[in-house]
Amino acid sequence: MCQRRFNLPKWSVCLPVAALLAGCHGGGATTTTAGAPLCAADPGPAPLRRMTRFEYGRALADLTGVEAAISQNLPPDEETMDFDDIATAYSVSSLHAQRYLDTAEKAAAALLANPAALAGFAGCDPTAGDAGCVTAFTNAFGRRAWRRPLDDDEQRAMAQLYADTAESAPADGVTAVVTAMLQAPQFLYRPEAAGTAAQPVDAYALATRLAFMLTGAPPDPSLLAAAERGDLATESGLLAETDRLLAQGRAAELFVHFASEWWEIEPVTGIDKNRSLYRNWTDATPAALATETSLFLTDAWNSGPTLAALLTSPVTFADASLAAYYGLPAPGGTGFQRVALDPTRAAGLLTQGAFLAVHAKADQTSPVLRGKFVRAQLFCHPPPPPPPSIVVAPPVVDPRLPTRTRFAQHTADPFCASCHTAMDPIGFAFEHQDAAGVWRETDADQPVDATGALTGTDVDGNLDGIPSLAAKLAGSAEVASCAATQWFRYAFGRSEQTDGDLCTISALAAALSGPQGDFKKMVRQTVRMAAFRNLPPESQP
Amino acid sequence: MKRLSRRTLLRGAGGAAIALPFLEAMLPRRAHAVAPPRRFIVMFSPNGTLPSWTPTGSERSFTLSPILSPLSPHQADLVIVQGLLQQGGGGDGHQTGIGGMLTGTPLNPGPFAGVGAPPAGWATGPSVDQRLAEALAAPTPFRSLELGVQVGAADDWGRMIYRAGNQPLPPTDDPAAVYDAVFSDLHTDPAVLAHQRARHKSILDAVGGEYARIGARLGSADKQRLDAHLTAVREIETRLTTNLVENNPACADPKVPAVAAQSNDAFPTVGGVQMDLLAMALACDLTRVASLQWSRSVSQVRFTWLGIPDGHHDLSHRSDTDADAVNKLTMINSWYAQQMAGLIARLKATPDAGGGTLFDNTLVLWCNELAKGNTHSRQDAPYVLAGTGGGSLVTGRFLSYEGQGLNHNDLLVSILNAMGVPDTTFGQASWCTGPLPGFG
Repeated sequence: MCQRRFNLPKWSVCLPVAALLAGCHGGGATTTTAGAPLCAADPGPAPLRRMTRFEYGRALADLTGVEAAISQNLPPDEETMDFDDIATAYSVSSLHAQRYLDTAEKAAAALLANPAALAGFAGCDPTAGDAGCVTAFTNAFGRRAWRRPLDDDEQRAMAQLYADTAESAPADGVTAVVTAMLQAPQFLYRPEAAGTAAQPVDAYALATRLAFMLTGAPPDPSLLAAAERGDLATESGLLAETDRLLAQGRAAELFVHFASEWWEIEPVTGIDKNRSLYRNWTDATPAALATETSLFLTDAWNSGPTLAALLTSPVTFADASLAAYYGLPAPGGTGFQRVALDPTRAAGLLTQGAFLAVHAKADQTSPVLRGKFVRAQLFCHPPPPPPPSIVVAPPVVDPRLPTRTRFAQHTADPFCASCHTAMDPIGFAFEHQDAAGVWRETDADQPVDATGALTGTDVDGNLDGIPSLAAKLAGSAEVASCAATQWFRYAFGRSEQTDGDLCTISALAAALSGPQGDFKKMVRQTVRMAAFRNLPPESQP
Repeated sequence: MKRLSRRTLLRGAGGAAIALPFLEAMLPRRAHAVAPPRRFIVMFSPNGTLPSWTPTGSERSFTLSPILSPLSPHQADLVIVQGLLQQGGGGDGHQTGIGGMLTGTPLNPGPFAGVGAPPAGWATGPSVDQRLAEALAAPTPFRSLELGVQVGAADDWGRMIYRAGNQPLPPTDDPAAVYDAVFSDLHTDPAVLAHQRARHKSILDAVGGEYARIGARLGSADKQRLDAHLTAVREIETRLTTNLVENNPACADPKVPAVAAQSNDAFPTVGGVQMDLLAMALACDLTRVASLQWSRSVSQVRFTWLGIPDGHHDLSHRSDTDADAVNKLTMINSWYAQQMAGLIARLKATPDAGGGTLFDNTLVLWCNELAKGNTHSRQDAPYVLAGTGGGSLVTGRFLSYEGQGLNHNDLLVSILNAMGVPDTTFGQASWCTGPLPGFG
């Protein structure tokens, strides 16, 4: 009997995920007919998904040429489990509806202001008033925006809207049709009509799943054509389109988006530090740190996105100003350049300023936040929370004492220590990096002690500094399984819930950590899964 | 040639709004209401208060605490309610608190994983302000206005207003966006506006049709989501057929200075601008129900302008015997009292259309998701009301219900009654015994 990890109450009583998966589903991914969906017994639930702001901006940019940043007009996405696309978290209000209307109008205006783009849809100018051209435009634009051909009812409804709004000028009617299409559920949502039994996702819906997962945007014309030809019905046809999209720059952007959410890096652009303590922190620092991490992830994606590369690679990206911030020599050339770092100090994302500054307080480092991140986000074993009844009193900053001394006092209480020994000793290994992400030799005038310990994992042992932690993480099957779990949540927009989900995660983890495995292979593996290619019956919650 | 709207003319090249009196002739009007409009405002501040917030003395003769002292100019207009349990359920202390505070309901199970509790979703019923909006059914363009000050992320730690169960209403944090959404129609040329409204009506009709049609093809859970979206579309469609403004000379184009809406140190400034906009929205009768949400539960705002560098939530968890923390929390909660005083002063300074001031016809409620931050207790949560809402509520009172085992649902019913809505229960029925004795 498989225990569902999602329901386990405490990390301390969890079986390691890897062991759980091996025991339950060891051969599940390999015993199917060639080309058939993997883990086909149970595709898992498929809740209705709505575009995130990230996707909405990219979709509008593709379709109308507006800047993707226009999506910032929308209310913020509900975020949970660190991801912006968890379907069950969405809410909708009249504020949403109003902003969708306003933004769609702006996007439509941008398209109408660009005659070449407008004519690109149907090979004619719909604003000239020719009825045939208006219909052709509506069908062609609708096919891109709604990711499938319009049915008869939809064609009639849009023709009626055109007739109602084109009185004074055909352009007004075209604008109205575009504005309406960009607020319709066929655009904002991803409706997939389920049947009474599990069934393959229809070709256009599958193209939509693929495009949003790999590019964060609707299908491009080639992918729609492949769907129309029926190419996606076979695994080889599906993989051919997958490989085409994976080779594009957009897939790298998507990877940056996913990894930034997983590593909780996105908040960096909104944080501030106590500038009397961190004198080099300026208004420009958060954006520079975000750029650094984004370039690092893009480079990793293009040059071989292994888990080890993210965790251990002793390189980063900096311009002269950021190099000075870190106390590094200025790189050659202008703008951000790839910079080799001291491997005894640097280890991939773990030593980047964006990650370190988010996982710290405004005026001090936080071994708790950093240790908790490693537990929760890299091992997928969130530490148990403090009981609701206790008074949580974080140590007050005493400039005469190093951080770890204050936290040692704080965890001397056996009651607190029972949980904090799972987090703080990992966090202590980060103590050479201050709350602003910069290397330090001393803390409160004492040499930094960055020793710590990793316990309760498949790679237990003593730590001294971040590179020692990174090396252990890179060799951990539990971390690989957790990375696959994080990708699963992002890719499917939901938590893992069923035995079929655990089978899927196991297959994804194998593609990530197997021979020559990396994130690109894991993403490619995702499209082979039944969870991706099939729909559950409608009755399944 | 495309006609320029008046708004285009006024906003100029830099995009900054210029404060000018409205051209009276340009404004479509509603007829004067027979009775003066009755209004309700909620103000929220986070992370609990200190037990020392409570006034001392008797119902009619009481002394404000240091925390409430900024409200002393308005003491005769206050009703202070103490001794209730702020009911709630589901989620961690903060989630439960902010979700139940105005709804009197527990949270649904859901995706937001809190601390020490199973993951929770949204509240299961409407908030009291939304019940009022429904019952008052005012002919205003906006059913209600939700304004925020650095509320940030969309989750159930940051939502207190619910249109209905599972339908949280997000506040708008950016004053410039509030200005555009709420006031732009007022200074658009009427002919342009009429044309724009007709177009929007056609577009939204078509959009609504698609939501109904696609929803019908989906399973029940997915259909509910599209139905909720359809309701939202219909609501903004209704706005298009609502006439704009009561003839109130106090209704003027509000100034919106450029502010860094999400910058910690701009917190007081942003809040001030939001309160200006809120008062003006009432003066122009664009809405009669509004809320002002300062940050969110678990707020980490740093009150640097009071010389306090610590995050508020961190402070709220320190011990009752920590004199430094107690001192800082007193200053923070007192600062919020000062903001409520500022809101009251704005309402008192703005004439109402039918005579008197906005304040004469407004009831303001200040509330908090917790009573105390370091225990997450919701027993004796603080409630400060101001004004009569145009009804017969007797003010200048301190009401203590200590030891009576009553829940705050009873206060929510009392508020509805004070606003002329004769409901007998609100929120989860088992938590409610009816209006508070001696309140009305």
